[in-house]
Amino acid sequence: MATAVKKLDLEIGELIEVAGRRYEAVPDREGGLILEPAITPVSELYAERGWEPASEEDFRRLTADDEPADGEG
Amino acid sequence: MTSPGKKLSPAPIIFGSNEWAEEVERFAPSASARLRAESARREIEAGGVRLAWRPCEAEGSHGTRLPGCRKLYVPLGQEGASAAPYGLVFQLAKADRGLIWSFIAFGERHPDNPSTRTVYERAHKRLHGRYP
Repeated sequence: MATAVKKLDLEIGELIEVAGRRYEAVPDREGGLILEPAITPVSELYAERGWEPASEEDFRRLTADDEPADGEG
Repeated sequence: MTSPGKKLSPAPIIFGSNEWAEEVERFAPSASARLRAESARREIEAGGVRLAWRPCEAEGSHGTRLPGCRKLYVPLGQEGASAAPYGLVFQLAKADRGLIWSFIAFGERHPDNPSTRTVYERAHKRLHGRYP
């Protein structure tokens, strides 16, 4: 007996949930579309918690003693 | 408000449960990546270890934009990509209790598989809602 295929007509950015886990339709590196485990943006997570990104000035002060940037990313 | 030039106290490191689930628990419980991340988190939360922080690139060479972020290589205390193949990325954020380092991404620094997203691409996606 052939396995029934569930067809999804998804566009980039759309989410589906499978067994309690969310997956997002994202572009692959060849211009296609793949499903990946979702990455919830900080804007959404921070809004729920009442957080916001800190200022550049605070960042500079708190990282003054860091190792130098290595250009990797 | 902070007075100009005054050095700030260190900010606590916060591992949000949503971020941890999406970044680390996406791996199987016995996967090397997950075990490495869990071990690094235990070391960070226990304190007493010197953390070799490095700033992320505000404008990275592969299109990533991570202003306000810094990183740690994993395993902690290792540097080169072969000795420390993974990275943790944190963003400085303002919470009700003050400044915090909010964990935003974990992953490979230089994945062998070209379809695997780097930790920097994952961090960019979490900050900007899309891949670079």
